[in-house]
Amino acid sequence: MSHPTAIQLLQAVQLFLKEAEAALDGRLAFHAKVAGNALGMVVRELAQAPDAAEDAAFAPFGGRDALCEGLRRGDFLPGDAAVLRAVRAAALARLAVDNPRYPTFQRLMERDLP
Amino acid sequence: MLDPASAEGRQALASRIAEGLGDQRLQGPVEVLTVVPLSGGASSATYRLEALRGGQPLRLVFQRTAGSEHAGLGRSVQAAVQRRAGALGVPVAPVIATTDAASALGDGVITGFVAGEALAPKWLRLPDFAAARAVLTGQCAAALAKLHAAPAGHWADLGLSGGSGAELLAAMEALYRRLGVTVAAFDLAFAWLKPRMPEAAPTCLVHGDFRSGNLMLDGAGLAAVLDWELTHLSVPEEDLGWLCVQAWRFGQWQLQVGGFGTREALLAAYAEAGGVACPQAVHLWEVYGTLKWGMSCLQLADDHVSGRVPSVERAAIGRRVSEVAADLTYLLAFGDL
Repeated sequence: MSHPTAIQLLQAVQLFLKEAEAALDGRLAFHAKVAGNALGMVVRELAQAPDAAEDAAFAPFGGRDALCEGLRRGDFLPGDAAVLRAVRAAALARLAVDNPRYPTFQRLMERDLP
Repeated sequence: MLDPASAEGRQALASRIAEGLGDQRLQGPVEVLTVVPLSGGASSATYRLEALRGGQPLRLVFQRTAGSEHAGLGRSVQAAVQRRAGALGVPVAPVIATTDAASALGDGVITGFVAGEALAPKWLRLPDFAAARAVLTGQCAAALAKLHAAPAGHWADLGLSGGSGAELLAAMEALYRRLGVTVAAFDLAFAWLKPRMPEAAPTCLVHGDFRSGNLMLDGAGLAAVLDWELTHLSVPEEDLGWLCVQAWRFGQWQLQVGGFGTREALLAAYAEAGGVACPQAVHLWEVYGTLKWGMSCLQLADDHVSGRVPSVERAAIGRRVSEVAADLTYLLAFGDL
């Protein structure tokens, strides 16, 4: 294993971007902030493997593309509890990586599906 | 295209402003002193103009289309809509003149400067705007009721796009298929919306992008409704549902109306102002609007991924798809967000 790890390198770049942001202004400062947030997503994605979680959620339907195709053709119904459960599991796995502070993340996780 | 800040650009602007304002013999000549860029996107640029007319200071805003990417409404049509909306009682920046797409200044519009704060994250939080926020839901409802009260025929000469809810959804789905990305929550929402979208013809003009980010506030509340670029013919509930989409609540998720008001208060004030809207239809259009915001995220990400507009900002917005997926799942599972 290499040292520092990929995640540690990314965190170091995040620190640098924070410094850069403070020294910049306007559009560049904003882009430094956005870039830092994007690296945060990469750090979480490396740690959490959301693709595997999504694959597991959609496996009973033959995978994501098959579920999407089935919803389009009417083979699966949007009110179906199993479909909703799978879509929720996948959406939560992605949002845990992309923006875990988004208000709907907690709300969707905590509320029982009808 | 001519740089509006150059001597030649300022001269061209001054001549359009003088024409737009009318009789120069009475008011004196127009001179544009400074042109300050306010914001520049990939599709639009905005400048603040300091001018003199017969020695009297004049503050104006010049907004024009930039680049070839732009697919929205021509500025002259947009300006005509904005003028008529103003005449119906909607607070808008007064239109002074337009500049022709074929001219050196490009496709643009010159309006009067409206003082206020346009950054929603600021006016949603700053204590100075507490009184403004308290009356804003009612003001938005009244502005929309006035806009929607004019029948679709009022706008017939402008050649605006639009269609029934079912047609608008079909166009959005075609765009989704073209982008070639599959997001299960998006397909879920399309499947839910398809049998529910109304087939009836449009009844009115909608602003099309009436959200907290397009409202200019001053201490007394709504000073101007900005950005009429996405205006089209539809039904009132499209604007009302769009205003409730989670993405413009900026964290104030309990206040469904742009982070400043409740849905109930909006619908009550809309009815009080003479508007007719069905709450179930507003919910339907909120789902539609949430999905539409998701399409914008996909498109902006595609700008970057395709190499058309390489940009860290657009790439990052692509990951906001996950927020929209969670919002859609919540909306469809629980019927309310």
